[in-house]
Amino acid sequence: MSFGFLWIPLVIAALLAAIASGFVSSFLILRRMTLMSDALSHVALPGIALGLLFHFQPLIGGLAFLLIGVLLIWRLEFQTKLAAETLTGVIFTTALAIGSLMASQTDLLEAFFGDLAHITLGQMALQAGLSLVVITIAWKYLNRIVLFSIAPDLAASVKLSPKKLELVLLLLIALTISIGVSFVGVLLMSSLLIMPAATARQLARSYKSFVGYSVTFSVIGLTGGMALSAFFPVQPGIATVLVSAALFVICLIVPKRQMA
Amino acid sequence: MESLLRVKNLNVTIEGKEILKDISFEVMPQEVLSIIGPNGAGKSVLLKAILGILPVTGGKIEFGKGVKVGYLPQRFAVDRYLPMTVEEFLRLKPGVTTEQIRESARALKLDASFLKKSLASLSSGQMEKALIAWVIADRPNLIFFDEPTENIDVAGQESVYQLIDTFHHQLKIAVVLVSHDLNVVYRYSHRVMCLNQKMQCFGAPIEMLTNDVLQRLYGEHAVFEHHHHV
Repeated sequence: MSFGFLWIPLVIAALLAAIASGFVSSFLILRRMTLMSDALSHVALPGIALGLLFHFQPLIGGLAFLLIGVLLIWRLEFQTKLAAETLTGVIFTTALAIGSLMASQTDLLEAFFGDLAHITLGQMALQAGLSLVVITIAWKYLNRIVLFSIAPDLAASVKLSPKKLELVLLLLIALTISIGVSFVGVLLMSSLLIMPAATARQLARSYKSFVGYSVTFSVIGLTGGMALSAFFPVQPGIATVLVSAALFVICLIVPKRQMA
Repeated sequence: MESLLRVKNLNVTIEGKEILKDISFEVMPQEVLSIIGPNGAGKSVLLKAILGILPVTGGKIEFGKGVKVGYLPQRFAVDRYLPMTVEEFLRLKPGVTTEQIRESARALKLDASFLKKSLASLSSGQMEKALIAWVIADRPNLIFFDEPTENIDVAGQESVYQLIDTFHHQLKIAVVLVSHDLNVVYRYSHRVMCLNQKMQCFGAPIEMLTNDVLQRLYGEHAVFEHHHHV
């Protein structure tokens, strides 16, 4: 694959997307929401399919469906007392079925595994912009989301609203997925949402270093994966997963320092 | 003297079940008020309702002017692999400053190395201390302490009460304590509330904790055991 003159904006967009997902990834591990977020990525599928059918940016379609999806989950979670995870199961399979009906086989493959060949400058700008939004919100809400995740009672006792924080977190996840899917695809979104933080947790002794490692591994995974897919006939999503998995294994093998 | 907290005719119903009925009391500055009662009596629910963590179905909760509230929850189980230091945990409290963290560590006689410890590596007694550091960091004048029923070694438990006693005397903090130990109630509290959905008694421990009241509260067998301790 060759990206010609577009490789500089592509790298910038990928870097920002990786930083954003590294951040969000660290929240998800704390909340034990990793697999839920992976399932949630399928909700983007009908939106991507609509974009491909009617020739508008698939990212926008995907984002719209994700936002509707998380708002539904959020509303229903407080209404039905079903776990967010259960509701995601209901919503994602429905979206997956609808999306598969609408998209052609090639389009589906592209949506599942990511495709850099058809990425446009406008899409990269949008990805970079949304990534900055995610990074800003994640930074602003970092302490509150962490406290709410590890000690809900303490968070409530200092007047933090669990309902609001849950919404912020779900919106962050939706935004991150919409940014990431065009790089790595719907199926392999976990390479950006689960693997960086899972690898980071093996090394980190403090929360600061945990977030730092998570962002670093996310950047290495995505840029490494994209570089591999530029030189070898392999889809960027698959390459990113392989690089991230390699990092995970290396960190497993590397002897751990003593716990403080 | 104006009260720090005034609770009037409080009712709490959770999923159709009446947990608390018609609870009224006041907390005065610098007093230690213990709440006792059998399992499921609604002690923790009462604290959570007062703190706004659980919704109330009826009644009034009024805090006095300038009252700053702290809360030590009963359970604070940390994921064994949570990568976070004690200091980072304390910093999660909204509005807390570095100076306040240092001060509360000093008050608890915790050295700098304790702040650098991983939260997940703490013993239950140490965790309780970290929680107390969290609670006193922004200098509250009213603390709600939901005593843990288990998982704290006797040595740890002893020191936690001594600490609370110290704060009460040094920092003039009023304490509302949910307790399972009548010894502690006799030793540390000015007033006691017996709770079992409704208030069964309220007043000085020595006057309130009669055989008759305890029997009504816990049943005959329990009274014998508790009496044995005292």
